Amino acid sequence: MATAMTGRGMAFIRNVSGTLISRLQVLGGGPQQLSCLHTSSSLSSAKWEKKNRMMFPPQLPDEPRRPAEVYHCRRQIKYSKDKMWYLAKMIRGMSIDQAIAQLEFNDKKGAKIMKEVLLEAQEMAVRSHNVEYKSNLYLAESYTGKGTYLKRIRYHGRGMFGIMDKVYCHYFVKLVEGSPPKTEERTSLDQAKEYVQGLKNRTIIHGL
Amino acid sequence: MALPVRRTVAALFRPTCSSLKNLEAVLDVRHPGPLYLPVRTKKRFFIPPAVGTKVDNQDNQEDPEAMARAAGIVFRQEYMERPINISSSAGVFDPYIPPEGDARLSSLSKEGLKQRTEQIRQTAASQLAIRKIKEHDPEFTTKGFAEKAQEIFIEAHNALTHFNKEQLHSLVTERCYPEMTRGNRYKTIRWRFVESLEPPKVVHARCPDMVSKGNLYGQVTVRMHSKQTLAVYDRFGRLMLGSEDQPKDVLEYLVLERHLVNPYGRWRLHGKIVPSWAPAKDPIIKTVMIPGPDLKPWEEFDAVGYQVPKPEAVQWNK
Repeated sequence: MATAMTGRGMAFIRNVSGTLISRLQVLGGGPQQLSCLHTSSSLSSAKWEKKNRMMFPPQLPDEPRRPAEVYHCRRQIKYSKDKMWYLAKMIRGMSIDQAIAQLEFNDKKGAKIMKEVLLEAQEMAVRSHNVEYKSNLYLAESYTGKGTYLKRIRYHGRGMFGIMDKVYCHYFVKLVEGSPPKTEERTSLDQAKEYVQGLKNRTIIHGL
Repeated sequence: MALPVRRTVAALFRPTCSSLKNLEAVLDVRHPGPLYLPVRTKKRFFIPPAVGTKVDNQDNQEDPEAMARAAGIVFRQEYMERPINISSSAGVFDPYIPPEGDARLSSLSKEGLKQRTEQIRQTAASQLAIRKIKEHDPEFTTKGFAEKAQEIFIEAHNALTHFNKEQLHSLVTERCYPEMTRGNRYKTIRWRFVESLEPPKVVHARCPDMVSKGNLYGQVTVRMHSKQTLAVYDRFGRLMLGSEDQPKDVLEYLVLERHLVNPYGRWRLHGKIVPSWAPAKDPIIKTVMIPGPDLKPWEEFDAVGYQVPKPEAVQWNK
């Protein structure tokens, strides 16, 4: 049987054996040989806390004063990240006093936790980050992230079950010294005018 | 249609397997075993662990130690220890009390002369201590030591500005190191020694022995009058304290210590004495909120008659 083979058959065999050998080599060599794989894979990373350790060189007297930035976060809050997002979006860009006032009178569960986080961050800023006035801060960034979920069984009828997620979320906040930046209010009329202007600015090429 | 194709493929593969084996045997090629073995009974679904139904919650809370032991977790024995450092003593013993108006009177006036004579005729305890130090360290002289002390001071502060931990540890004792570096990790310090206004002088010496009788530590106080510039910048590079261009006159009483019994001991900066009559330091470039008096709910705060409490003027050694 081995002797009765055509030339094409032999080429096919050589290809197959070549791919098999290379595949086995790849399996044996492991992920170090491939450079396109991610090398750091861990669920818990503490990058936000490390941002507070950034040092800047001393400023020259003619440079504008650099505003202080304070990063704070709280991990594994027992709340949904989507529900928390509504509150985070609401206070984005507000001054810290306004944000604390809004959260105090909000009925959601996440509002109480968020207010604690903001007060902690304010205290930290005044005590260890050389912020002069505790009201002179505004929220530059505030967003939520997914925490590590616990999985439980949710029992349905007829012996069926579903996997229930016990949701946790993280909340990140960055306070910057200064008054909050003014966002320009664009009305619909302005937007319509800009659209019409864009249409008028078109140039017709290769036309008569 | 499928059957003949499969048979031909199988027919093709049978010879390939045998030829491969022959090839491998000939070339002596070794392949590691495949990592993914298809197993028919592999579990493909995930059931999360049921909480609260199997184990009674009460048992868990009552005896966690027994549960841990049953589970097989072994804890290492906890040692109630507190580390003690022998290479430096814990404080300044019998601190030197600098006389009032030390730097303000010049040597030419009558009061200044009296002060100088008092200082020159040191107390007996200091002389005894210096004699004991000379026993252990034969090269010790009051004049030479004062110069060396100033050099150590300048080098230590330069190491602090560059934050060279190893050099700082060799120039400064373990008791002084945290005092010098507390809160400075995320700050930039710029310090410069401009000049010395008066030559440094040894004013005080003590030789206490700690714990056991022969364990001698020598502590010598040196008086220094010099010009220095200090500027402290915070994490963001903004000036917190002082200025780089304006030098200030500084009168300091440094305490240097050496573990005399240790043959590898060195004279290191141990601390500073701040006299009670020292002038107040410059304020920091920041407004600080001072907490007001504790009020009851029905009381009101009277801002007009309120005086900010000042700390009492006591000599303290840093």
